[in-house]
Amino acid sequence: MTCSNFLSQQQRTFIQMRTVLKVVDNSGAKKVMCIQALKGKKGARLGDTIVASVKEAMPNGKVKKGKVVYGVVVRAAMQRGRCDGSEVKFDDNAVVLVDKQGQPIGTRVFGPVPHELRKKKHVKILTLAEHIA
Amino acid sequence: MLAALRNRFLNLAKSSQSWNHQLGFRGLNQTSSYLSTLTNSSDEGLLNLQEVEKVLSDVKADNVKVIPVGEQCDWTDFMVIATGRSTWHVRNIARALAYKAKQKQKETGAQRLMLPSVQGQETGKWVVVDSGKVIVHALDEKARDYYNLENLWSSGMSHLEPVKVS
Repeated sequence: MTCSNFLSQQQRTFIQMRTVLKVVDNSGAKKVMCIQALKGKKGARLGDTIVASVKEAMPNGKVKKGKVVYGVVVRAAMQRGRCDGSEVKFDDNAVVLVDKQGQPIGTRVFGPVPHELRKKKHVKILTLAEHIA
Repeated sequence: MLAALRNRFLNLAKSSQSWNHQLGFRGLNQTSSYLSTLTNSSDEGLLNLQEVEKVLSDVKADNVKVIPVGEQCDWTDFMVIATGRSTWHVRNIARALAYKAKQKQKETGAQRLMLPSVQGQETGKWVVVDSGKVIVHALDEKARDYYNLENLWSSGMSHLEPVKVS
């Protein structure tokens, strides 16, 4: 009859190789596929950096299709615990492209970004964002 | 986020005090007073606006702009944007701010030094010094034009920028 809520919900996991993420800045790329999570054996979480390959891009943008870029995960479907005990999770996986030194390639970030980025030393992305969750 | 953390610490302190009455733990009193002193010292140790402006004028940073963003965003109150003439100058601005914070904390005699976090130190293009209520961005000329931070923060956050052309 009615399944229990726990079984019908998906268990979200880490961002790992072959995960397709949305790009939420105006650098020109639309979708990237993760090829390596830089920290963590199981994969990347909210606020981590990944290496990704651009799979889909706007025709005239700073990054082209097929380029290997670094990115910072700003929204993840997997929940992340906060220090007060609450958890934050989003509906999609989104990333902001940065260069090897951590400077954002685009100039604006769309959609909400969480506070975790401040602790993870990504204040630049926070200043470019339009909405902080 | 520091403001939120501070509120949480105060709430924890209040709730722990109410527990004290019920359960009679003496030890918790000491921890709650320690928490309140911790938050107080973290406010004083980091820089405030006047000191930041003084340091920037000493270092001879160009085009210093202070933007009050207290209404727009809840994680900081002021954004200071300064331009450096070269990459070395930009890095120097960041180092001077960190030095000033260290001096201030040595004078007030805090138990541990809490330096403002500096990000972007390797490339001299954009260095961010995060000191709680005040965030200082030190950019060079090209980066300032590229990122256009004043536009973003002075006119609110309700505009869409076109795609960056290579």
